[in-house]
Amino acid sequence: MGMPGSTDDHRWSQQHLSHYVEGDLRPRARRRLDRHARNCAECGRGIRAMRALVYAVQGLDGLAGVRAPATIFDRVRLAGSGGSPSSQHT
Amino acid sequence: MPPSAGRRATGSADTEASLIARAQAGDVSAFERLSSGYADRLFMLLLRLLGDRGEAEDVAQEVMLRAWQGIARFRGQSSYFTWLYRIAVNEANRVLAKRARRPASVSIGARELQLPAAAVHDPSRQAESSELRRSLAEALARLPPELRTAIVLRDVEGLSTQEAAEIAGTGQAAFKSRLHQARLRVRAAIGDETLTDIGG
Repeated sequence: MGMPGSTDDHRWSQQHLSHYVEGDLRPRARRRLDRHARNCAECGRGIRAMRALVYAVQGLDGLAGVRAPATIFDRVRLAGSGGSPSSQHT
Repeated sequence: MPPSAGRRATGSADTEASLIARAQAGDVSAFERLSSGYADRLFMLLLRLLGDRGEAEDVAQEVMLRAWQGIARFRGQSSYFTWLYRIAVNEANRVLAKRARRPASVSIGARELQLPAAAVHDPSRQAESSELRRSLAEALARLPPELRTAIVLRDVEGLSTQEAAEIAGTGQAAFKSRLHQARLRVRAAIGDETLTDIGG
């Protein structure tokens, strides 16, 4: 991700918080955001919030242990009794 | 979930390739063996995207049927997992689009997106954690389908940006933009104070 020519560091930083925590910013752009966030409480809080958000959403893997229904291949079996897949309508 | 989890139905690329070849020749049992390794994860994805178990069960059957009907055209340009997931995302989006055209009588079903209670021993922290999960689930459920798909594939499923973009059927730059928008909306819904509290 390149760094735009805008001098509005704050607005630019707010627009790139997600890319920052994703590690998607190029070194120069990352330094620009780092430099701005050191003196901007809102952007510093934004970085922490975005990191915490990604961490919390990653923790939403709460469906582990959920199993697919036993019926998941029922329609395939029904269709499969009619011949090869290439001969069927899609 | 780590990105590599469940990629291969049988633990061997050669075996997966042979199952694909047999399925393409019309062997239903080979197709089932090939796809059953991904069935649970695919069903979880549909639950997260649709938020309704009954609908997810119906769509899961439809995804498998479409995969079976299309397997002859699968050329291995992406992994079978990616191909199957893409069918699932397309089907989920089709259902969500249809749902959006209906009167608002169907609940989004954020409950399906939630975590079971975490192993937190402090009751007040457990309540906070549970409340956060509920809020996150509700915020995700309120996102437009394309934004929800982006955050579910990248952050919940833990797929790489490249793979998630491929499954979502978009370029990486557009996918990152959707992911950014999704995170901003969820962040706004939860609030920075709550998020930074849990972040420590």
